[in-house]
Amino acid sequence: MMHQSMKQNRPPLRKRIADASEPYLYSAPALILIVAVMLVPLVVGISYAFRDIQLLNPFSGGFIGLDHFRALSQDDAFFGALRNTLWWTGASVFFQFTFGLILALLLDKPFYGRGLVQALVFLPWAVPSFLAGLNWAWLFNPVIGPLPHWLYALGLLDEPHNILSDPHLAMWGPIVANVWWGIPFFAITLLAALQAIPRDLYEAASIDGAGPVQRFMSITLPFLAPTIAITVLLRTVWISNFADLIVVMTNGGPADRTQIVASYIFTQAFKRLDFGYASAIALVLLVLLLVYSMLIVLLRQTMLNKG
Amino acid sequence: MASIDIESVRKSYGPFPVLHGVDLTIKDGEFIVLVGPSGCGKSTLLRMIAGLEEVTSGEIRISGNRVNDLAPKDRDIAMVFQSYALYPHMSVADNMSYSLRLRKTAKEKIASAVGAAATKLGLDPLLERRPKALSGGQRQRVAMGRAIVRQPKAFLFDEPLSNLDARLREQMRAEIKKLHADLKATSIYVTHDQIEAMTLADRIVAMHGGIVQQVGSPLELYDTPANLFVAGFIGSPGMNFLEGRYVVSAEGDGKGASEGAGIRLSDGTVVPVARRTDIQPDAAVTLGIRPEHVVISDTGMLEASVDLVEPTGFGIILHLSLHGLPFKIFTLDRDALSAGPKVRVDFPRKYLHVFDEKGDRAD
Repeated sequence: MMHQSMKQNRPPLRKRIADASEPYLYSAPALILIVAVMLVPLVVGISYAFRDIQLLNPFSGGFIGLDHFRALSQDDAFFGALRNTLWWTGASVFFQFTFGLILALLLDKPFYGRGLVQALVFLPWAVPSFLAGLNWAWLFNPVIGPLPHWLYALGLLDEPHNILSDPHLAMWGPIVANVWWGIPFFAITLLAALQAIPRDLYEAASIDGAGPVQRFMSITLPFLAPTIAITVLLRTVWISNFADLIVVMTNGGPADRTQIVASYIFTQAFKRLDFGYASAIALVLLVLLLVYSMLIVLLRQTMLNKG
Repeated sequence: MASIDIESVRKSYGPFPVLHGVDLTIKDGEFIVLVGPSGCGKSTLLRMIAGLEEVTSGEIRISGNRVNDLAPKDRDIAMVFQSYALYPHMSVADNMSYSLRLRKTAKEKIASAVGAAATKLGLDPLLERRPKALSGGQRQRVAMGRAIVRQPKAFLFDEPLSNLDARLREQMRAEIKKLHADLKATSIYVTHDQIEAMTLADRIVAMHGGIVQQVGSPLELYDTPANLFVAGFIGSPGMNFLEGRYVVSAEGDGKGASEGAGIRLSDGTVVPVARRTDIQPDAAVTLGIRPEHVVISDTGMLEASVDLVEPTGFGIILHLSLHGLPFKIFTLDRDALSAGPKVRVDFPRKYLHVFDEKGDRAD
């Protein structure tokens, strides 16, 4: 049609410009928003990593190249935070996933009142992380919370003290709170994936002679694998960036034993007000998470291709 | 190979009964087809035999052993599902060998069993493929291969051909029949397709509303349907039914009077029938005749108007109305294509079926 009209009578220039720019004009509002909201802060943030930006120092702001990264490579607190991040993320994701999967498998079976139980189970997800952190901090506080006394009664603690102030146990506090808070995410997504598995596959397998464990291994797990890969990836990235609970419950203490990279960034930026150094740490964390994500995406791709 | 006995088996879901006492004895090597409209309980019965549904009351025995409380895997049966239910993450070979691997069969034995089944079903070139890379017919074959590798006591088929197109269905039907002739395994086959039922079955079990209506060979069901349901369900196009009253001393029609029995239709015409011993004179009855048995003749005793002519290629279906009621004729005579607005029809006496007030066959 265009071909025809060009032959017969070329439209005027203004009309042609309007036609050519039409698609760009339509997408402009969204593009401008994305650039302004996402790209600009990202670029500015990255540029901070190479500049000396300290809020309290009016003479700062100059370009300093890789100085921040050199300082970072000597920063023991950073490496400690990196180790803590691994521990925090690994334990949180592992327990959230394990309990989430068990919960999803239980909720997949029909029972009386399932709808109500499902709604209740998903409740923690709706609690603001800040509130969850405060609640758990209180629960671990022996003056007002019952947990230390229960742990003492069970013989797990020598005396009912606050594990959040115990350098060896402090990390378990935020991890427990995080597991409680994050189970619903896994339960919801895995339950959705479970319910998409055709029931007659299980029937065929039970006739073929498969017991519950074999049915789980040869039907449930292969069906869940892509969902597991993507949810574990998402949660890992989120949790390693997720400093709310730690900042609220322990603030990185005692003696930096619960300091993770994300809370270290928070401390550097908003306590020491050294935005430049904080940006440099954030950039390192970003690169690490990107590498990790690429690995998981590759893994998932190969699994999907095989399946 | 085994016999299967079903003894007053009932099933209800909560307060809702779906099977009202089914009795059935299946001989070793027999091919039984459960047929009926959807919701008649045929699939439920099959799934109870498989162990996928609990038996509310009654008893199911395989080779004489009560299996009510046995898990499906301990019943030594194989089942082919309508959806095929192939394991999507396993190759064709793995799908077929899964049951053997679970039973820890020796590797060489598995390989030979899978190989034999694959050759029998023409699956050899597909063994390494995944189910999603197969066509519907191939998947169907794999599902059957999975069933036969184990050499179970009985095969259960749950509408296995419903997801195939008509041509493929015909082909697979023949293959199932050949396979059964080959393996001589006890088979129970559920379908709502009466052609499948007629062609495959040694005996057909016609079910309706959770009750077995008739058990018999395909031709028994066709020639002597036990009741109105079976008469209407078996055969395509379906049997014609006319309401009337059984009369012993026929009036008005010379031919009927000489025999002494007939059925008076609403317009007073008396259709002569052979004497029935188990109905009272003047009882309300239903007269049935199959479309292919109705004869068009100029001297026919009934006149009907032609509503519609349907050529099927093989024959012609005439849709008539007789006393305002729909009535069908199936004929191989091409002249029927040019039938006028009215035709006269005759009902050969030997093809007439009479059903009493309750709908049961009267002889």
